[in-house]
Amino acid sequence: MHLVLQDLANGILAGGILAVVALGFSLVWGIMNIINLAHGAFVMLGAYLTYQLFASFHVDPFLSLPISFVVLFTAGYLLQRYLINWVVRAPILTTFLLTFGLSLLFVNIALIVWTGDQRGVTTAYAGANFTLAGVTIPWVKLYTLLAALVITGVMHLWLTRSKTGRAIRATSMDIGAAQLSGVRVAHIYSIVYGLGAGLAGVAGTLISMSYAINPNMGEPFLIKAFVVCVLGGLGSVQGALVGGLVYGIVEAFATQIDLYIGTQHISGSGLQDAIALAVLLIVLIVRPTGIMGKATA
Amino acid sequence: MTAQTASASGVALRIQNVGMRFGGLWALSDVTFDVERGSVLGLIGPNGSGKTTLMNVISGVYRPTTGAVRFASRRIADVPTHEVCQLGIARTFQIVKPFASLTVRENVAVGAMYGRYGAKRSTRASFERAQELLEIVGLARVADRAASDLTIPDRKRLEVAKALALDPDVLLLDEVMAGLNATEVDEALELLRDVNRRGVTLIVVEHLMKAIVSISTTIVVLAEGKKIAQGAPADVLASPQVIEAYLGSRWVKRQEQLKIIEAERADAARVQPPDAHA
Amino acid sequence: MALLLLVPLGHNGYIEIVFRNILMYAAMAYGWNLIGGYTGYVSFGQVAFFGIGAYCSAVLSAHNIDNLFADVALACVVTALFAVVVGLPVLRLKGHYFAIATLGIGLALSDIVANLDVLGASSGLAVHHVDEPHFYVYYYAMWLVALGSMLGTYFIARSKLGFAFVAIRENEEAAAVLGISATRYKVIAWAISGMMAGSAGAVFAPANGFLDPSIAFSADSNIFPIVMGILGGVGTVAGPFIGALILAGANELLQKYFIKIHTLFFGAMIVLVVLLLSRGLVWLFGLKGGARTWLKSLTAYKA
Repeated sequence: MHLVLQDLANGILAGGILAVVALGFSLVWGIMNIINLAHGAFVMLGAYLTYQLFASFHVDPFLSLPISFVVLFTAGYLLQRYLINWVVRAPILTTFLLTFGLSLLFVNIALIVWTGDQRGVTTAYAGANFTLAGVTIPWVKLYTLLAALVITGVMHLWLTRSKTGRAIRATSMDIGAAQLSGVRVAHIYSIVYGLGAGLAGVAGTLISMSYAINPNMGEPFLIKAFVVCVLGGLGSVQGALVGGLVYGIVEAFATQIDLYIGTQHISGSGLQDAIALAVLLIVLIVRPTGIMGKATA
Repeated sequence: MTAQTASASGVALRIQNVGMRFGGLWALSDVTFDVERGSVLGLIGPNGSGKTTLMNVISGVYRPTTGAVRFASRRIADVPTHEVCQLGIARTFQIVKPFASLTVRENVAVGAMYGRYGAKRSTRASFERAQELLEIVGLARVADRAASDLTIPDRKRLEVAKALALDPDVLLLDEVMAGLNATEVDEALELLRDVNRRGVTLIVVEHLMKAIVSISTTIVVLAEGKKIAQGAPADVLASPQVIEAYLGSRWVKRQEQLKIIEAERADAARVQPPDAHA
Repeated sequence: MALLLLVPLGHNGYIEIVFRNILMYAAMAYGWNLIGGYTGYVSFGQVAFFGIGAYCSAVLSAHNIDNLFADVALACVVTALFAVVVGLPVLRLKGHYFAIATLGIGLALSDIVANLDVLGASSGLAVHHVDEPHFYVYYYAMWLVALGSMLGTYFIARSKLGFAFVAIRENEEAAAVLGISATRYKVIAWAISGMMAGSAGAVFAPANGFLDPSIAFSADSNIFPIVMGILGGVGTVAGPFIGALILAGANELLQKYFIKIHTLFFGAMIVLVVLLLSRGLVWLFGLKGGARTWLKSLTAYKA
């Protein structure tokens, strides 16, 4: 029984981070109709930024959260404003490939700057954990989960209450009407893409505290972000949160699969992408609008 | 002529107690009539009376909530969309759907390739058939243009040619004359008569009363989803029920238009906040 | 294309491999073009077919069957079967969903193969190949695969089949009304496109002599053909070959002179192709109005 509880706890802890990864991806997809294949690279850059600040200046990773956000928001804003905006309304293939190309650029820059070696942010409190009802929970992961919840909460409030947030939502509903009401679409798009990158950066910081860092670390998160969006429904904060937690739990249990067929050893932990694809296909075929039932674009 | 006495061989299509519900609204209820082989059936009724819904049921796009449409004893609803044309039923769409990147001739040829006799036609034969049809509908002069370049009347013609390329026994025409001027309407009517003379049964939905009266052998009138009259054009139009349905609806429409105009004026007077549309 | 027959006569092993790669990518670009260009289903999973084809050869080789015809034949059968089985659910998806699901197929297959001991798992397995002086065999085999893909595309584009594909791309509902079963023809398009990529993989495996999941399902083999298809011209017969010649050639040069950062250049190249030439060279060559029309096309999708 306590094994099941342990898996459940691991799933929820991982799911909180996935929710933050997916939130930025979901905003860009839902509002701009762009599948941002560079999203995983932004996660990776956020993680390296945190690593570098920690390694060079002993900055606590939690203090890096706002720095990651600001740096990647700015980078994302400029990228959208001066590059992606040229093809933002093109057929999906174009934006797909453009963001793939950007991703390739970032990953390779990271390879040159930080090499392919595995890095880690090892804080003094990294190994500490506590046990509750037989379930072991690392403090770091609990704090990152709390940080993830706070971040999604703040995003939700900002999108619903602030003037810019409402302009963003208006743009996603009806571009023409938003433009007529004085919304500058190019600017709004840049803010949204900046937010997507900023949130990815924040997620990267959170990830850096519990996982190894390397230039290719973003790719699995990209696919998972997509699956989380499909699970939770597109473009909504609640969707990303629920989808992230559900996917985190599903993955935590699926990776525990461990069986032998003849001499062939089948281990769920080596099949993360296959699990993601299976979840994706099942959801798309059984319930195309996601478990939250939100309309998809 | 009544459905009961008509011999089976004389009936092309049987519409039996067809009802169609969208949410809580019955767009069609208990509609029954037969379509005689070789006839031209005009389907009229005020806006929202269920004409296009009925066309969609007949062509198998919608599955009726109650009743059935039978063609040669098969229930249309049981036939997948891409096989309906194999039975010998073709339709045009109110909103024309050409394949934009293909030429006009290619658009029609695709119908000839995959329609009822498509399996027996080579690519070359399909193009020859397309050329014949383009001459019949008067589009031969623009055969090599991209379909996206056509004018509205020409797009309607293309829609008819594509449907004819399927070699149908029954052709459903949904407002092919909307947006045409008087001369173009006359040309279109001539085209339809020509098609009918070739043995194709026509079901025509049209707003232009003059056009429909001049071409139809039988008229069915729908109002609020129910059949309120059926018969020869002159008899149907003289029926008090039909007159009431039309006048009544026109009066209501006028009232609605007045309301919209008033609402717009009131709106314009107000200053809208930037996220009023959110 | 015929000129490329002369390449092995130079007896330069390096040049031969460069051109063999160009031919390999061309065949894959033709495969992608059929489903992504003609049928309008933007697939990011062509590498799955390539990998399956490559592993077909590896399995045959493990059973001491080393015959390129058998390799290609088996690859065609298996990829076509795979396309039908996976295509029936996946081809119901559209747009972004189809793109990501296909991207997932390649990654998932790579995962699965990496866990299958019979296929050498993640450490890979050796594939028999002929001795060095006879390497031209693989070159000519790849040439035939590329030529077959090109001719296949040429004839399909002019056949009933090709018109069904384009009709589906333009409007699936309207195609159905004209008697085209979208499901059937989408699966056919995907199966043929898979056979092209699979055949390229089947020849690649023995030529390379070794196979592991990261080689068989590499991101390069996945994305290169798409960019080539776009650079040359989506939905055209000549496009994929032109694109493959230019991009694969450029890639080889970059790899030779900037070994460490050539992927960086490749990323930049993709960005430039997408921003400047997204309608392809075939379109550009036939362009009326010259530079002005081209410049105007650049801002067509701006917000």
